[in-house]
Amino acid sequence: MSETSVAKKPDRWDLPFSEELPSPNERRPMGESDVDRLLAMWPFADMDPENFPDRLPLRDILKYDTRLRHYEHGDVIVREGDYGNSAFLILSGRARVYPPGGIDPETLGRRRARRKPWWRSLIELATNPRSPEARDPREYPSFGGQPVPSMDWSGVQDVTNLLRAEPGAFERSMRIMPEGELFGELAALGRVPRTVTVAADGPTELLEIRWQGLRELRRYDDALRRYVDDRYRRYGLAATLQGSPLLAHLSDEEASRVAAEAVFETYGSYNWYGSYQQLRERDVDPLKKEPVIAQEGDYPNGLLLIRAGFARLSRVHGHGEQTVSYLRKGDVYGLPELAHNARHEHEPSGLLSTLRAIGYVDVVRVPTRPFEELILPGMEKRVVDGLVEAVDAERAPAESETDRRVHVSLPVLPNAGEATRGGAGEKIDPGMMEFLVENRFINGTAAMVIDMDRCTRCDDCVRACAAGHENNPVFVRHGPQYGKHMFATACMHCMDPVCMIGCPTGAIHRNEETGEVQINDATCIGCAVCASSCPYDAIRMVEVRDRTNDDAIMVTDDGAAVQKATKCDLCSDHEGGPACERACPHDALKRVDMRDLASFARWLNR
Amino acid sequence: MMGMFAKRRLIASALTVAAGAGLVAAVLAWAPAPPSLRGTAYFTGWVLFGALVLLALYNARKKLPYPPLLGSSVWLQLHAYLGIWSLLAFLLHLRFRFPTGPFEITLAGLFAGVAGSGIVGLWLSRAVPPRLREGGEEVLFERIPMFRRRLRERAEELVVTSVRESEATTLADFYADRLEDFFRGPRNFFLHLIQSTGPLDRLTGQLDVLERYLDDGERRIARELRELIETKHQLDHQWALQGLLKGWLFVHVPLTYALAVFVAVHVVLVYYFVGAGS
Repeated sequence: MSETSVAKKPDRWDLPFSEELPSPNERRPMGESDVDRLLAMWPFADMDPENFPDRLPLRDILKYDTRLRHYEHGDVIVREGDYGNSAFLILSGRARVYPPGGIDPETLGRRRARRKPWWRSLIELATNPRSPEARDPREYPSFGGQPVPSMDWSGVQDVTNLLRAEPGAFERSMRIMPEGELFGELAALGRVPRTVTVAADGPTELLEIRWQGLRELRRYDDALRRYVDDRYRRYGLAATLQGSPLLAHLSDEEASRVAAEAVFETYGSYNWYGSYQQLRERDVDPLKKEPVIAQEGDYPNGLLLIRAGFARLSRVHGHGEQTVSYLRKGDVYGLPELAHNARHEHEPSGLLSTLRAIGYVDVVRVPTRPFEELILPGMEKRVVDGLVEAVDAERAPAESETDRRVHVSLPVLPNAGEATRGGAGEKIDPGMMEFLVENRFINGTAAMVIDMDRCTRCDDCVRACAAGHENNPVFVRHGPQYGKHMFATACMHCMDPVCMIGCPTGAIHRNEETGEVQINDATCIGCAVCASSCPYDAIRMVEVRDRTNDDAIMVTDDGAAVQKATKCDLCSDHEGGPACERACPHDALKRVDMRDLASFARWLNR
Repeated sequence: MMGMFAKRRLIASALTVAAGAGLVAAVLAWAPAPPSLRGTAYFTGWVLFGALVLLALYNARKKLPYPPLLGSSVWLQLHAYLGIWSLLAFLLHLRFRFPTGPFEITLAGLFAGVAGSGIVGLWLSRAVPPRLREGGEEVLFERIPMFRRRLRERAEELVVTSVRESEATTLADFYADRLEDFFRGPRNFFLHLIQSTGPLDRLTGQLDVLERYLDDGERRIARELRELIETKHQLDHQWALQGLLKGWLFVHVPLTYALAVFVAVHVVLVYYFVGAGS
């Protein structure tokens, strides 16, 4: 009989941020003198330690949630497109900012995610432990081990030097950030990819703050919160406007004018998953709880650009409202109506649909005047004609109820963005659209959808999954169903992964290369915050076993079993992609990216 | 417009027919007049053997989820169409004659069993899932016994309550006579396969007849019992259909193993006797 493996209870700061760097040469614990030095600098010098709770003292946040980074002249600090989990404060030196698309991805050192060679996967199949969830305790800090940091952990791997990679690129910066400036916080706090590339201009020392630490600092220091919020509005707005195809034809001056008149608005709750779970439990009509951003029939008073989050488009249908589509980041609302009203001043159209915030939405409102003066004149006549015709068609009285339904179901509303566009045979029926929005599946980039008319319940998908995940499948072949399509309980790798919000250690994070949401097993302390935050119940807590000790359950010094969060990782370390999809003999299972609804529609209508 | 699956079926069928024609042509080419029976038998025998090996590899692919060996659905397509093609190879190998001798008859019988169970399995895997879905909310096969046990426990609890509250044994007697066995395990397997609601109608009808002998409290319990009966009927339906989807493999796979053994012995015997003959 084997002895039980005992260790102290895993804790948030078991593994300081400073020791999570992939390169052992860079790993250096934050000492007391480092913390003293930081406390004498802005913004920490202005912070009142008394405002911080006893369990989260300012000193400890700096000691465990930050780390010092040193970069040489030309070194890339953050890359455009990476999913950052941290922000940076320039302690000495300065940094250059490069505009979106300003540097070739290959120059930035982008490469394919590293995967195990197929023969190693094969060997693992043969050497999988007998019991599920058996791990090596030497990988856990609470067992006195030294974890192997994730390949994709924070920071740029194998730091790229712009001067060496492409000397000309270094000079193409759009701005230089001086000492004392904070950057990267928008991506870290907003769970979105970084919008710009930043490189060191001369030897530069930075303080990297993981987002959990930044969250605490914002929470307990008003000045920092105002500073971050101000930057968030300023740069978030600029990035949104610059990224919209509608504004692509504007000159810099015109773009600045639009930005100056644009208004930044936020609807719903940032931590939307709590209210969503309550709605589900109480069976409340979600439309009644979703804040209305714009109401069908009202006079359109500006173009709305969705900066982050999701919004529901609905139209009056009988005595209720029918969801016709949803908008996500980059989509616009009100465009056809504004175009129509600019051409027919005396016969203005009201808004054709109602826009509601699903959870949390950032919106940029461009008022009618700059739209008509700056944006509309630059649009192609053919496009504007199409928009005006679409409004006229929608306003024409339907001859029968059938006609009305057809109008609602047709993806003719150009204001609905790509979500509803698509050619013949690529339509999603309104019922499915309602189902997707109602259940928030629109959030998924890898939702597991199963065609139950083809699925023979053979569970080959489940077995394939278990084979690659310590004999324990990380999804359940069961879930909400619409018609013949079932959405299995599997991590969807959400566009807005709310599971990451509460993680105290940053164990759950985005892979910087691929954006997949992954869990670093070594730093997961089993608090289950992510599992209870996930609106889709896709994260499970498991008791882990000691594979070096006859698969005995690992326990903490207070007698509790060591728990870890597990979920689908899309088989990211194996060749070939998700094993579940490849294991399905009947083409019944598909991982669906809701950002590409046209492909999903093709799959539904195959 | 032709759907993806219809297009795939058309292409695969055309390829299978072409491959079949190619095989016939090869046999004819191999056996010029006067035909050498031994020659064609060896040729078709080894072709058939190769096809069987490829068919069996599908099972190995299912056990290896990670090496990039094409998706399982590609393998299943190959398995199905190659299986059909190998039927032709089998008939050519037999020279369209009934086999002679117990060994050959057993071998041919095993081949026919494997092929037949495969075709039936393929048909089941297309026909049963839509019926399962139409049957209402689905329960995972492995969880059905747990739900069944819960239903039985709830039914027994209700009956005991009815006796305690009404001081009459009408419902308890009915339970003992008609329902106890029904709730004890999966029932009416074959009737569920033909979508029969006969057993459900019979039990609920009998319960309805009892109603005039019940007081208000018992009627309330009888209504709940009725719901439990309907739920159990649903569970049995799912058990039968999901069991069928899984069960056909318990015919197909063991027959395949038996066929593999017989084929190996057949090859050894053929070469042994050829050697002995020469």
